Amino acid sequence: MTREATGILVLIAAVGVESFAQLFLKIGASGGAGILAGPWRVRAERIPAGSSARAWISLGLVAYGAEVFLYTLALHFLDVSVAFPLGSLCFVGVALLSRIFLGEAVGRVRWVGVLCILAGAVFVAL
Amino acid sequence: MKPGAAALPRPAVIGLILAVILDTFIQIAWKLAASAAPGNTASALGALASPFFYAAMLGLAAQMFNWMRVLARADLSFAQPFTALSYVTVLALSARWLGEHMTAPKVMGVCLILAGVFLISRTPFSSHPPADEPGAVRP
Repeated sequence: MTREATGILVLIAAVGVESFAQLFLKIGASGGAGILAGPWRVRAERIPAGSSARAWISLGLVAYGAEVFLYTLALHFLDVSVAFPLGSLCFVGVALLSRIFLGEAVGRVRWVGVLCILAGAVFVAL
Repeated sequence: MKPGAAALPRPAVIGLILAVILDTFIQIAWKLAASAAPGNTASALGALASPFFYAAMLGLAAQMFNWMRVLARADLSFAQPFTALSYVTVLALSARWLGEHMTAPKVMGVCLILAGVFLISRTPFSSHPPADEPGAVRP
């Protein structure tokens, strides 16, 4: 695998981990599994620590630590001008996860906003 | 009234502004810590010697505390895109003090980010009723 392909894979992993870190922190900040959308809430509440806000926050912090490590690793393989716009894909990841797991109303306007930010990040890195 | 149709509560507004300021501070401090480190292979360890590294760490702790307060009040998909504003502030500060050049594409990018955040700020800030309000029932 080329250096660039490796870097892109690591970066995509970093984006995924960061999006989940944000999701976990949001669940923790909202007091635990109660904020999750229907079926996910039922599943999470079956886990012993599912209702504990502190457990979700800890999970979020661990994921954050992993993300910092992965992003730093990705920067060893990629140029910042590539890594920066790709890294901002976490805005898309967060919108998707919020919609799926938290049942947040991510409508057309919010999506257009996210895509504008993404496009903006590409131009800023040029 | 539709949930979230009300104005964004003041603590959330202050929290979002503070998040962008702290994010900017962390990124600039991080940049300075990294550039203060000699060489590039041992840069991670070299950065530990820089006071900017500890300033960044302190900023990070404050950021985490502040961010939890924001997330307790607003949708994740509403609040998180606001952090993109730090791309703009970091760029502006870097152009002013760190000698980075503003180019036409960068200005275009800044405009797009501002437009994106503006659009998101027009959407309802919360899909859930506030948890701390008596009688609030989750759907």
